[in-house]
Amino acid sequence: MAETFPINIWINEERLDKLQCAGLAHLAQEVFAGLKKLPVPTDEQQRDAVLRKFPTAKYDSATTKSIELLPRAVKDKIFDLVVEKKSLNVIDVFLAST
Amino acid sequence: MADVNNALSPHGGKLVDRVMEPEKGRRKAKEAKIKLPIDGSRATEIMSIAYGFFSPLEGFMGSKDVDSVCKDMRLQSGYIWSIPIVFDISEEEIKEKKIKVGDSILLTYQGQPFAVLELAEIFSYDKALMAEKVYGTKEEKHPGVKRTYACKDKFLGGKVTLINPPKINPPFDKYWYPPKVLRQKIAELGWKKVVAHQTRNVPHTGHEWLMKGAWFAANADAVLVSCVVGEKRAGDYIDEAIVLTHEALRKSGYFREGTHLTSILLWDMRYAGPREAVFHAIVRKNMGCTHHMFGRDHAGVGTYYSPYAAHEIFERIPDLGIGSVLTLEWWYCPVCGEVTYSGLCGHDKEQQAFSGTLIRSIIQDGVKPPRLIFRPEVFDLVIESGDKYGFGSPFVTGEYLSKRNPVITVPQMEV
Repeated sequence: MAETFPINIWINEERLDKLQCAGLAHLAQEVFAGLKKLPVPTDEQQRDAVLRKFPTAKYDSATTKSIELLPRAVKDKIFDLVVEKKSLNVIDVFLAST
Repeated sequence: MADVNNALSPHGGKLVDRVMEPEKGRRKAKEAKIKLPIDGSRATEIMSIAYGFFSPLEGFMGSKDVDSVCKDMRLQSGYIWSIPIVFDISEEEIKEKKIKVGDSILLTYQGQPFAVLELAEIFSYDKALMAEKVYGTKEEKHPGVKRTYACKDKFLGGKVTLINPPKINPPFDKYWYPPKVLRQKIAELGWKKVVAHQTRNVPHTGHEWLMKGAWFAANADAVLVSCVVGEKRAGDYIDEAIVLTHEALRKSGYFREGTHLTSILLWDMRYAGPREAVFHAIVRKNMGCTHHMFGRDHAGVGTYYSPYAAHEIFERIPDLGIGSVLTLEWWYCPVCGEVTYSGLCGHDKEQQAFSGTLIRSIIQDGVKPPRLIFRPEVFDLVIESGDKYGFGSPFVTGEYLSKRNPVITVPQMEV
């Protein structure tokens, strides 16, 4: 399977409520003894496209191999797409809409 | 090249002190015929030279030192030095101000007399060669290379004297320890072994354990946190948050009183990886530290250097007279149920690595990180610092860059 590079969306109470209402709470993973994240996968091409579109974002190549520091509004948009589509595979739709 | 003892402390054997009393400074300023305004980076480099952070440098490098540093990582005198410290200027400015070798040039900052440069040399240097030797690449997207290419075409070499010492503004004033002062404080505290922790980050528990691990490894009396305060990039933590949260670790008891001290170093990071590690070691030796901790990806950027390039370089250079504590990362392990050392924890598949970038990302999402990876006192202070100093954000924004309180203010001086 091809390597994926997640966009970690960190789950606050508001996001958790939305996931629970959509029956998607199981998609959130618990990490660091008490924190929840929604890892939205990107492939290499999608990762590079996201980084090009949002230059403040950073691919943490050294430690976590994830895309971090996307603006909160951008993550909100990706999160809303996950809830709407009931799927984590939303990056193509997201990129097409930005 | 001379065979010298690089283990001498301070580097070169003598702590440079080129800070003049203001009255004498005023007289010196009057003698200078040429006035040249400088920017903030140049001003803080002059402070670092004058107060001895950069010992044995007494001024901006001449062509022989630059060439020797670039090609051999040594000064002409034979002492190890890894980053060129240069004063660039355009040909036009040289002509316009009629600058010539032998001149005393009054350098002004914030519109006030600041320092005097005794001009010993005007020279050119191949910037592409400088970039390749220092940073190992000519790619302009490397921030250090970009900085090198942005230099004007000529360089001025010569000794500098700080004639109008600036005021360090709050909250940084409490953490400003020039080497002479810091060495005295270390002696008064009775610390025999002090391990330096270089940082440009708000501390998460991975950093905290790096410091504690280094304290154990060096059998040290104390950890000196040396926060780099300088050029910022959008999205970095604001300087105020970095300094205050490090002190909060001690105030909140994560470090016992008498084992931890927070300080600042005025320096624009070059992201030169291993070469910058050597530079950091020399500067912290000058500050009075006996050891320096180097973790993963020290002073690196992107993928230009291997994660432990800063460890490897110390095997290739002479003893610098400051012990290197070379350490791997700390991670969270759900099996161990704690933040633990990657070199000892065998749960490679289960481990959950975290980084400063990851913590920033969590905070940006409006989420409070768990205390096991980020101390609640540190989190609260990050938010408070954003409100107090960052125009509502603990991260650097355009507004912060344009409106922030300056770190230093040069007093008015009538000449």
